[in-house]
Amino acid sequence: MVVKGRGHQVLPDCSRPTLPGVVSERACVFYGARWMLAAVPDVIHLVHGPVGCAYYGRTVRRKSYRLLSTGLDERDIVFGAGDKLFDAIMEAAARYPEARAVLVYATCAVGLTGEDILRACKRAAGKIGRKVVPVNSPGFCGQSQAAGHDIAAAMLLEHFIGTGGKRELIDNAVNILGEFDIQGDLNEIEDLLSQLGLKVNCAFSGRASTSAMADAHRVRLNIIHCRRTGQTLADAMRERFGTPYLKVSFFGPAETTSAIKVIGKFFGVARVEEFISRANQKAESEAAPFLQQLAGKRVALFFGASRIGSMAKVFGELGMEVVMAGSQYGCRGDYQEAEAKVANGAVLIDDAHDKELAELMRKQRPHLLVGGTKEKYLAHKMGVPFLVFPQEMGPFAGFRGFVNLARQTAGLVSGPVWRLAHG
Amino acid sequence: MKLTEIPVDGIPYDHLRIEKIPVTPAFAPRDPELLPASSRVLVVNPDRICMPIGAMWAVLGIHRAIPFVQGAQGCTTYARYTFSRIFKEPATIATASFHEDAAVFGGRMNLVEGLRNLVVRYWPEVIGVVTTCSSEIMGDDMTSFIGEARMKLQAEIGPERTEQIAIVPINTPSFAGSHVEGYDRAAKAFVQSLATDRDAPTNRVNIIPGLFYPGDIREIKHILQEMGIESTVLFDISDTLDAPLEPPQSIPYYPPGGTHVAEIKGMANAAATFALQLDAGGSGARYLERKFGVPAVVGPVPVGVVATDTLLQNLGKATGCATSPALRAERGRLVDAMADTFHHTMMKRVAVFGDPDYVSGITRFVCELGMTPVAVSAGTESKNFAAAVETVFSEYQSLFLDPPKVFNGSDLFEFEEYLKTLPRLDLIIGNSKGVDIARELEVPIVRAGFPIYDRFGYQKRPIVGYRGAELFLYEIANAVLDHRYPDDRTQQL
Ligand code: SF4
Ligand code: SF4
Repeated sequence: MVVKGRGHQVLPDCSRPTLPGVVSERACVFYGARWMLAAVPDVIHLVHGPVGCAYYGRTVRRKSYRLLSTGLDERDIVFGAGDKLFDAIMEAAARYPEARAVLVYATCAVGLTGEDILRACKRAAGKIGRKVVPVNSPGFCGQSQAAGHDIAAAMLLEHFIGTGGKRELIDNAVNILGEFDIQGDLNEIEDLLSQLGLKVNCAFSGRASTSAMADAHRVRLNIIHCRRTGQTLADAMRERFGTPYLKVSFFGPAETTSAIKVIGKFFGVARVEEFISRANQKAESEAAPFLQQLAGKRVALFFGASRIGSMAKVFGELGMEVVMAGSQYGCRGDYQEAEAKVANGAVLIDDAHDKELAELMRKQRPHLLVGGTKEKYLAHKMGVPFLVFPQEMGPFAGFRGFVNLARQTAGLVSGPVWRLAHG
Repeated sequence: MKLTEIPVDGIPYDHLRIEKIPVTPAFAPRDPELLPASSRVLVVNPDRICMPIGAMWAVLGIHRAIPFVQGAQGCTTYARYTFSRIFKEPATIATASFHEDAAVFGGRMNLVEGLRNLVVRYWPEVIGVVTTCSSEIMGDDMTSFIGEARMKLQAEIGPERTEQIAIVPINTPSFAGSHVEGYDRAAKAFVQSLATDRDAPTNRVNIIPGLFYPGDIREIKHILQEMGIESTVLFDISDTLDAPLEPPQSIPYYPPGGTHVAEIKGMANAAATFALQLDAGGSGARYLERKFGVPAVVGPVPVGVVATDTLLQNLGKATGCATSPALRAERGRLVDAMADTFHHTMMKRVAVFGDPDYVSGITRFVCELGMTPVAVSAGTESKNFAAAVETVFSEYQSLFLDPPKVFNGSDLFEFEEYLKTLPRLDLIIGNSKGVDIARELEVPIVRAGFPIYDRFGYQKRPIVGYRGAELFLYEIANAVLDHRYPDDRTQQL
């Protein structure tokens, strides 16, 4: 944990394992892999492990397309479950003839018994004539969900991305990397891009069907919208297919405006200015009453690292002071970006556990805490309003998303319940 | 106003639709061979979670207690998330944070260091050490690890303060059972390690509520109070997981209430132990009976008239206390409500699913309402369940033309596919995981059981006791009415 001051940049310690015995806000590698892959709609997601992990996998991003499990029991643990996995793949394939491929997630239990998942996958793939791909994501094999994101990205690159036969570019097509399509964010972004005449081929990983991924190398541009996963994918695709990329953010009017401009410039689209200024004006006038309520209020951020920097900036645009920015699993780059966007005296922290969070809330006295559902109710007990992010109600991306964010934030901060609770 | 959009213009409401199976138009009919859960290895839409979460639930019902989960972070985090979603309360659960080194060398260091870190940061009075698949597969020796952790603590904080912290190991290899068994094992583990002496027998009774919600536990306490019976409720989550908002709180945050260690110690001295759910908690009651001769009254699940009557009688027998006029009036109001609603509940065809004890209790109650259960499904396999529902069915034979279908340890895929084959179905009763099924079949659903995460208030509203049954009845009747008579023109009351 560090406090931002004047002078040279200091960053919090990060990318280290969690201390045993604390109430960690981190999740496991399997969770991270699920987070990335949950949005692949036309495959079978088979969780190889006991039934609990599969239940867990269902709750991730509220997407549960074809989530199945091998439901390992005692016998399987003792005698091995290779055959069971094979049978399960066969049954799943029979049940979903329309699914294009099977993803087999390895969880802790099979990671420990050390069975040969690859063999079962290969054998089944030969039989059903579809891809059967292992996702090697036992929960303990990394420090947090971030490792799962990387594993999933690597798997997609190896088995799905750019595997289509055709080479020639699709006109005006782009991919968005690191966009998770939370509550309509992707629709907002698509809308904006369509004003430039662009079409989204595939969003990693908000909407990524196998066929779109197979064509992913045929776009003219990759747009990165989330540092961590986006960057890895973009680098790999540039190397392999020569696809150029641009790094942008669609959170907040300022970033959105510059995003549209640079993308427009890349494609040589004229008359971007006019449309942007119209959208900007509309957003500004709609958000104005909310900004009034938010002026000078303090906000603390604690969620997935890749969005910390861009969201810190947006809350600044709302007229709020970011007094804390932290994440369960940031890397250096994430915190560098965040550091640049918070005020002096703000705290930067990696892998804060619940006690640290509570202490920081007392010290920094935010008017709003932004984070995941697990932290929400503790914040309430401390008397602090809470905004769940990734959000639960409506998009935050683009111009309309910004208005939505302003509206929700203002509503939460000025909620009468907090006066009553403290009274 | 028809809700077609969420409050930001341009976003179709459709976009928020729950993803459900099948998601693609290319959906093909099911292969009949793969329908029964017993004839496939694949688990689809399971109606059970893993063992540790049941044990964590239990530990959260103890005063100033923190569950310590001996596994990787995921097993803890998802449980905290699940508790948050159900109870809308913070759940403080510590993790041993297994990483690669733990997988290679075992979880000894994680436990010893972890308990130390937990104690010096949070100063809990009780720690429930909950194992996971990982630690069980590696064969972590909990007893010796905990002994070592205690030595380390003694050296650091002194023997006296170490003495004051109870550390209870609970073995929960998830692959051997579900959350129901996790709770059951926790009940046994706690009485086994804390209730060690029967030195001063009293007239108190022990209550092991099982996976009932705070509202249910409050209702049980109300009954006991009316009868003038003193009691110990083991794993009393009625305050810990339903705490008032009184900011600011001190840190670390411990919610009020919960069962005190002294009370658990006294459980060996009780006049009787009542386990309200057979599969979740029964082992604890039976252990006390075997070891100390404290009579165990296991079930019936007190949902509905007869089962509550039985509970009151059994409580009377164990303590000599009589039921009160107020309770009699509650019973009277319940049967009055049953009479008033009867023409809407009778002969309604209902499907019930969930944890075995919830299902058997609710099945009896819907029979009392003159409804016809057509399918009942326990997500966790249970011998008690099969026996309990068969008894109900034989008592209420007149309600059935065909015997109802009983699924024991099935998944919701099988259940759903079976419901689709029925000529008529009027109502589904079960937990939140059935909402998609109800949507698909266009049948109303009444939420009850574990888990309910998609609506507010269910964790506070009892279904046990006379008053709970009355509230539950209104839920059922109104769900039927909402569906059949949606507006004033069709109103039939
Ligand atoms: S590994 Fe963890 S989450 Fe998975 S089933 Fe076992 S205890 Fe549950
Ligand atoms: S067992 Fe491993 S993969 Fe499963 S939830 Fe726990 S940490 Fe994650």
